[in-house]
Amino acid sequence: MPIIEVKHLTKEYDLGTITSLKDNIRHTLAKLQGKSTWQRERFKALDDVNFSVEEGEVVGIIGHNGAGKSTLLKHLANITKPTRGEVIVRGSIAPLIEVGAGVNPELTGRENIFLNGAILGIPKKVIQSKLDEIIDFSELEQFIDTPVKRYSSGMTVKLGFSIATSMDADILIIDEVLAVGDLAFQQKCIERMEGMIKNQGKTVLIVGHNIRQLERLCSRIMLMDHGKISLDGDPREVCGVFFKEAQDRTYARHKPSEREIISQQDSGIIQINKIELLDDNKDTQTGTGLHEPLSVRITFTCNQNIDKLEVVVGFHTSDFVHVLSVSNALADIRPTIKAGVHQVVCRLNDIPLRPFSYSLRVAFLDQYRQMLWYADNIMPVSITAGKYDITRLPTIGLIDVPADWTFHEQDDKNYHENT
Amino acid sequence: MIKVFTSLYTYRELITALAWKNIVVRYKQSYLGLLLAILKPIMLMAIFTLVRSFIGIETDGTPYPILTFAALLPWIFFQESASEGVSSVTSNTALIKKIYFPREVFPITAMVTKLVELGISCLILAGLMVYYQMLPTIYALWVPLIILYTMVIALTISFFGAAINVYYRDMSQLLPVVLSLLMYASPVIYPLSLVRQKLLEEQIAGDWSNHLYTLYTLNPLAGIIDSFQRVLLKGTAPDFNALLPGFMLIAVLLPISYLFFKRAENWFADII
Repeated sequence: MPIIEVKHLTKEYDLGTITSLKDNIRHTLAKLQGKSTWQRERFKALDDVNFSVEEGEVVGIIGHNGAGKSTLLKHLANITKPTRGEVIVRGSIAPLIEVGAGVNPELTGRENIFLNGAILGIPKKVIQSKLDEIIDFSELEQFIDTPVKRYSSGMTVKLGFSIATSMDADILIIDEVLAVGDLAFQQKCIERMEGMIKNQGKTVLIVGHNIRQLERLCSRIMLMDHGKISLDGDPREVCGVFFKEAQDRTYARHKPSEREIISQQDSGIIQINKIELLDDNKDTQTGTGLHEPLSVRITFTCNQNIDKLEVVVGFHTSDFVHVLSVSNALADIRPTIKAGVHQVVCRLNDIPLRPFSYSLRVAFLDQYRQMLWYADNIMPVSITAGKYDITRLPTIGLIDVPADWTFHEQDDKNYHENT
Repeated sequence: MIKVFTSLYTYRELITALAWKNIVVRYKQSYLGLLLAILKPIMLMAIFTLVRSFIGIETDGTPYPILTFAALLPWIFFQESASEGVSSVTSNTALIKKIYFPREVFPITAMVTKLVELGISCLILAGLMVYYQMLPTIYALWVPLIILYTMVIALTISFFGAAINVYYRDMSQLLPVVLSLLMYASPVIYPLSLVRQKLLEEQIAGDWSNHLYTLYTLNPLAGIIDSFQRVLLKGTAPDFNALLPGFMLIAVLLPISYLFFKRAENWFADII
C-alpha cells in the first residue's frame, strides 16, 4: 500500500484581497435570494494532481516558480486543505517546510532546540538524549547559549536543520532546505540526508531548485508545471527535460541570429558585432555532435590597439557549471590588434561533451588579463550524439574523452606476479 | 469535545513548551521579570480601594482591599487569557503556515501561559490573607475547579474570536474594549452580595428585579468571582444559584465555538 496517495488534488485560491465584511454579507444575502453574485477570479495552484509514493522512495519535485511545488507539500503536511480531491498519508510526517520556521529569536540556541523539538512533535526525552548530537551537528557549541537573534542567518538555518533531521518520522518533507548554509555545511546536510534515506529507509519528498542535488539524492523526480505534474520518473530523464525546457525558454526569448548580445562586463574598448557557430563548411549551426568539430566566429570592433589580446571561449550548462573553456593564451597565439573591425575564429576540433544543451560564453582580456568584455549565456549550443549511438552513452557524466580499452584474461599465477 | 482533551494530552509537551516560550520571551530582557505580571492587579486594587473611600461600597464584613484583589485575580486571568487567546492564532503566523498540529493548541497555550501569572498573583493573595489573618478552609479546594471553569469560558471566547480574527483583525482590537466594559458588569469593584441585596432583597427594579439578577448572573464571571471570594475569603461553598445561568450559557456556546474554530481551521494557512 502506498504511503502517500494523492487523488485528483485541486487547490484554488481567490485572487485579490480578502473581501470586506460588508461585501460578504451582501453576497450571502444575494445568494440566499437565489441571485448570482460576482465571482472573484480564482487561481488553480494545483490542478488535478494524481500520484502515489511507495515507502522508501525519495521523490524530488522540481518546476519553475509558481508551478505548485510548495502548495503540494503544504497539502501533504496537512497545513492546508484541498479544494477538491484527497490526500492520504499513512504515517507520521516531519515537515521541514523551510527549516527554522519555529525558531524564536529571543530564545537561545539550546532553548530553541527544545522548543522546536516540541513543535515537531519530538518527545522531550528524545531531544534530551540527542542534545549533544544536535549541537555537535549544528557546529554551534560556542553559541548555543546565545539568543538566536544574535545569530547569522546561516547559523539559524544550521540550527534548524540539525533539529529537524533528528526527528524520527516515516515521511520527511523538505522544501528548499539544501540551498542554504555554506558549502561545507551543505555537504554535511546532504550526507545526513543520504544517511536517512539509505540507512533508515525513510520516505522523502524534496522540493528544490538545485536540480543537480536533487538528481543525485532522488530515486524519482516529478516535474511540475502550472499546477500539474507534467513528468514523473527517472531523475536523469526528468532533469534533462527540465534543463532542456529552461534552455528552450532562453532560446525562445532571444532569436539566435538577431538577438543582441548583452555583456556582463564591458570596458568600452571592444564591441561585439556578431557571434556565430559554424561547421567546417562555414555554414551557421546551432551545435554539433559529440567528438565533432565546431567553430565559434566572433566579429568585433576595437576602439584602440590592443597588445596580445586573449580570447576565451567556453560552454556552460544552464545552471552555470562551466564545463569547457579554451583560450588562445594556452597556444600562445596572441596577436596585437589594431583599432578596427576584426574577426576571430576558434575551431574546437573535438567537442568532448555529453549530448545536452549548453550555453556559450566569451571573454576578451588584455595582456594583463584585465577583462575587456565578458558575457555568458550568449546562445545555446546543442551537442547531439552525432555519429554515436545515444543509447550506448553512459547516462551520467558531462565529458567524454577518447579511451582505449583492453581486456585480457589473467590466471591466478599472473595475478600474483603482478601484485 | 472529547477530542480537545485527548489532543490536549497528546500535545501536552508542545503546549508546555510554547507556554514556556511565551513566558521566557515576554520577560527575557526585563529586569523585574515576572513581577511585572502582578503589577496590574495590585495597581487596580489600590485604585479601587481609593475610589471606594469616596463612594462607599458595602462589603458585608470582608476587608475591601482583599475582596477586590480576590475578584481581580480571576477577572484579569479571564480577560488576559481571552485577549491572548483571540490573537494567539494570528500571532503565530509563521507556525501556522509551516507546520501542522491541531490549531486549538494556540488558544490553549495562551490560557496556560496566563496560568503562570495567575499563580504568582495567588502568592500575593496568600500574603494578603496572612496580613488580614484569614485562614483558608477546606473550601479552598474548590479553587482549581473554579480556575478550570474560567479557562473554559476564556476558551469559548478564544476559539470563536481567534477564528474570526484570522479573517477580520477587528476582533483582537474590539475584544479588549468589550472586556473592559464587561468588567463593570462583573462583581469586581463591588461584591455580588451587593447586587443580590439590591435586586433580590430590595427589589429596586420592581417586577424586573429577579429577571435582571438572572441576566446579571448569565455573565459566567459573576458566579466565578463570587465563588472565588467565597471559597477563599469566607470559607463557604460556592453559590450555585449564581453559577448556574452562566454555566448553562457556556455549555451551549462552547461546542458551537469549538466546531466553528475547527471548521475555520482548514483555511487558516490560506487566509492568515
